[in-house]
Amino acid sequence: MEIIVKAEGLKKYYGKGEALVKALDGVDLEIERGKFTAIVGTSGSGKSTLLNMLGGLDVPSEGSVQIGGCELAHLNSEQATIFRRKQIGFIFQNYNLIPVLTVWENIIFPITLDGRKPDKKFIMEIVRFLGLESKLDTLPNNLSGGQQQRVAIARALASKPSLILADEPTGNLDSRTSEDVVGLLKVTSSQFRQSIVMITHNPEIAAQADRIIRIEDGKIAM
Amino acid sequence: MLKNNNLGICRRLMMREIKFHTGQYILLAISTCLVCMLYTFSLCLGNLTYNGFIFSYKMIYGSGSHILFYDLTPSQAAGIKGHRSVREAVSLSAIGVLSDEMLENRSVKLASVSPGWAKETEAVPMQGRMPKKQNEIALDELTMNSLAIPYELGTEVSLKWTPADGSGERVDTFCLCGFWENRMGQTETCAWVTEETAQKLSSGGQKKQALGVTLYRPGDLERQGEEILSDLGIQDIAFTTNLAWNDARREYAGLKAGRFYRLNLIVMLCGILMLYHIVRLSAAQDVRFYGRIKSLGMTPRQLRVLWAERAALLSLSGLLPGWLSGFLLCVVLAPHVVIGMEENPALYFFRLWPFIVSGLFTFLTTGIACSLPMRAVTGKTPVEAMKFVEKEGGGRRRGKRRRTSLFLMAFSGLSRRTNRSVPGMASLFLSLCILCCIRTMGASYDQEKYLEGMAVFDYLIADASATASIQRYNPKSRSIKEEMYQAAAAHPAVTGIGVLRTMEVPMYAEDMERAQIIAAFEGKDESGTVRKEYMADNPDWMAGYEKMRDKGEYIGIATGVSGLMLEKIMAQNILIEGAFSAELFDTGQYVIAAASSSSELKVTPPAGSRVMIAGREFEIMASVPLEESMISGANSREAQFHVTYYMPEEVFEELFPGYGIRNVGIDIDQNSQEEFELFLEELLMETKADVISVSDYQWIFRNAVFHNCMIPLFVGSVMLLIGVLNFGNVLARGVLVRKKEFAVYESLGMTRRQILRVLLLEGVLHLASMLLFLVPATAAVTWLWGRWWIANTNTWCVTWHYSLMPLWVSIPVLAASALLIPPYFLKTVTRESVTERLRVF
Repeated sequence: MEIIVKAEGLKKYYGKGEALVKALDGVDLEIERGKFTAIVGTSGSGKSTLLNMLGGLDVPSEGSVQIGGCELAHLNSEQATIFRRKQIGFIFQNYNLIPVLTVWENIIFPITLDGRKPDKKFIMEIVRFLGLESKLDTLPNNLSGGQQQRVAIARALASKPSLILADEPTGNLDSRTSEDVVGLLKVTSSQFRQSIVMITHNPEIAAQADRIIRIEDGKIAM
Repeated sequence: MLKNNNLGICRRLMMREIKFHTGQYILLAISTCLVCMLYTFSLCLGNLTYNGFIFSYKMIYGSGSHILFYDLTPSQAAGIKGHRSVREAVSLSAIGVLSDEMLENRSVKLASVSPGWAKETEAVPMQGRMPKKQNEIALDELTMNSLAIPYELGTEVSLKWTPADGSGERVDTFCLCGFWENRMGQTETCAWVTEETAQKLSSGGQKKQALGVTLYRPGDLERQGEEILSDLGIQDIAFTTNLAWNDARREYAGLKAGRFYRLNLIVMLCGILMLYHIVRLSAAQDVRFYGRIKSLGMTPRQLRVLWAERAALLSLSGLLPGWLSGFLLCVVLAPHVVIGMEENPALYFFRLWPFIVSGLFTFLTTGIACSLPMRAVTGKTPVEAMKFVEKEGGGRRRGKRRRTSLFLMAFSGLSRRTNRSVPGMASLFLSLCILCCIRTMGASYDQEKYLEGMAVFDYLIADASATASIQRYNPKSRSIKEEMYQAAAAHPAVTGIGVLRTMEVPMYAEDMERAQIIAAFEGKDESGTVRKEYMADNPDWMAGYEKMRDKGEYIGIATGVSGLMLEKIMAQNILIEGAFSAELFDTGQYVIAAASSSSELKVTPPAGSRVMIAGREFEIMASVPLEESMISGANSREAQFHVTYYMPEEVFEELFPGYGIRNVGIDIDQNSQEEFELFLEELLMETKADVISVSDYQWIFRNAVFHNCMIPLFVGSVMLLIGVLNFGNVLARGVLVRKKEFAVYESLGMTRRQILRVLLLEGVLHLASMLLFLVPATAAVTWLWGRWWIANTNTWCVTWHYSLMPLWVSIPVLAASALLIPPYFLKTVTRESVTERLRVF
């Protein structure tokens, strides 16, 4: 069993004194390579905070995160960013598409930042699968919410990262597309030995995961 | 593995950003252009001020060479030319000096043509040519005017000169082959003859040379001059160093230019503020954008490149128009900064460095201003950056629950922008204070008072031999013809005209008359100083005074005056002694005595005493202070100490028939100024007589006022622009950042018209609250400063004039902004549907 993500004593506190908010309060977690993990929990339970910590998008108040054996805290900002864009694919809840770039440019954006050549054949497969072929030259503002979500998914998969962190990727999709997307994620993950950590409120999607982690009040519920 | 990266994407992103935010980028580019223009303008002004001073020093010195060595033998000259410090050398072989008494204040060397020397001293004929034939001569115009030589090539010229070999004064006749205007060499110049003529005139004897050298390193010229001579073992050789390379003078020029260079600090501060206000419009949006691309893997280095390219592109887009407009502004204003040059100083002193420096400064300013969102992202995690929201200034909570009205909504909106308004308000207040104070100062400078004090006449025509203060007036010059005077007198615009003629005459003062003058000069004046001591640094005056004191001999200047001249002399209404009677004066038996004195000392023979002028006896009717602004040119050195005796012009002509007019004073009907100046220009076209007109004084006055006001005016205007821009920015932000808020209002049933009314009310309330402070505060500061300035200025031509004009002018501009900006931006933010806007993060 190979561990891809290891979090120890992960805490994230906001504010001070009476206004102190414990978004994460001592999370210990290990995720195996190639597995599909679902994180569930109520709103405000700390799911997104945990995902951001795991992906190095936010800094924990205490504790450590290791990805593939690399301790994120030991990397400076420059290194952490490069590490992230090479190893992790994010699917954001609010898509985070770049409004000034076309759909195609958005999809290959992390690869372009890295100075690599995109695997066009592979990306086009994803694009076709997500039904975005006719939208490649369109700007994100001209897409519906669902279409924007699909672009964000394509972008996360395009660089073939070893870890995919998805924050409710199916939140804006109909049930049929949601199922297809999860299917795609599972296919690519098994093909490239990718690990998926996905936040979801959808019990059916969660049920497809290899493991379900429940978060309550900033802690992993047993 | 963690190696970086692709920087090409930064440019693509930047170009797309520009395409998406064209309006903001155009505004930024215009502002950058303005910043570059201001930098270029102030740097070019500083450059031309510095070089203008250096140029004037060079003109005074009379040569472009660094050091002038005199009285060298040919072998000494050759040695200096070959010295390691000397880059170039030009030599002059003078065979003597023109020694006509009319040239006594100047040194005109008779020399064989030396093209190098002529070039360095700008003594190159502009009319005709350098001498090529035997006995030909080329002269400067000042010398020709002093000697009354007509401006006609081929004229025979008899010149009195003293050979350098000390063989005694002689007179030779030459043929005029060329002449030039004196730009350089007012006090020292050359009269050129051919080498053959020089040989003939000097009987082939060995001539001494002067050598002008240009050094490789023009610093510490005194030391270098001494070093050259000591290296060559040359002793007892005199040399002079060019004032333009004098350290103290260069320092002074630098000091004068420094005030323009210091302006750059203000430009930078104002430029940063100006650009910052524009960048701030979308700062939160930009921070979130940077956070988003950071989360997708853009490294801090790539972000820095994106920022640098953005700043570089903005700078580049503003550079060319900024350079051009800044330089053009400089071209327009340069003649008011460096006066007296025929060429435009901005073009004449054109250098490349101000443009390079202004380009760098523009980049720096733009970079600092544009780094705002970048700095906000630095140190933030991508998540923090993506969630970035700017803090709004908090309005106070209302104690009671009230019914909401549009006015209350506007009032609440106003209180949210209080903090944001402070920098703009401060900028507006400061700029308006500066501008109103400057306006008050400018309006208080009283041109009428100045003209009354400076321009005794509307026009003062001067004989060609008396146009410069170093020129000794030559009564034989006759450049002002009788018919010219008659024509001017007949012009319908002329309200008064008078002439002034002078002749120096040797006179004798009896003991009693002498006693009054001696008492005046050797007694203590009201400040306890002995008047004679003031003149101790003028040896010619001292010699003249001592001669009068010891022997009673002195120079009197018989001055024939008529019409307006006499009126003006007496209109001064300061009679030191005696009483004036026009009837008695016209009899020709009386004179009015006058002498220079800073106070009302009796420095002339007493009223009632009798003086003998050119064999005729006169009684001194009265004595008055000498009005020197009525007389142009200089008297002889012997007449440095003199007493002027005014007499009727007819009497003067009887005593000294056939001599010329020194000055003509004319007053005109001011409504015909333009027409009369055209007439005068035509009248004087054929002669070298000079005219000092009232418009010259007006120009000098306006120029001086402008010079005094220019820098604060510049600073105040830039700050006002920043203030107005900030006000507009606050109004625009008040709409742009509330895109979602307005969508909420609309979703709850508020019409766009109602939202617009809220925004307009906010704008009006904002303006009113600002004016409540600005108007009384600016008025008070201006009044207090103005009164202080009037009380403390040492300028004599001021009359208190309080003006708040800049404040009144800026109010409509601010009001227009308050009424026009909110509707424009509301239209922009409400283009999308309510749902789309509600979805905005």
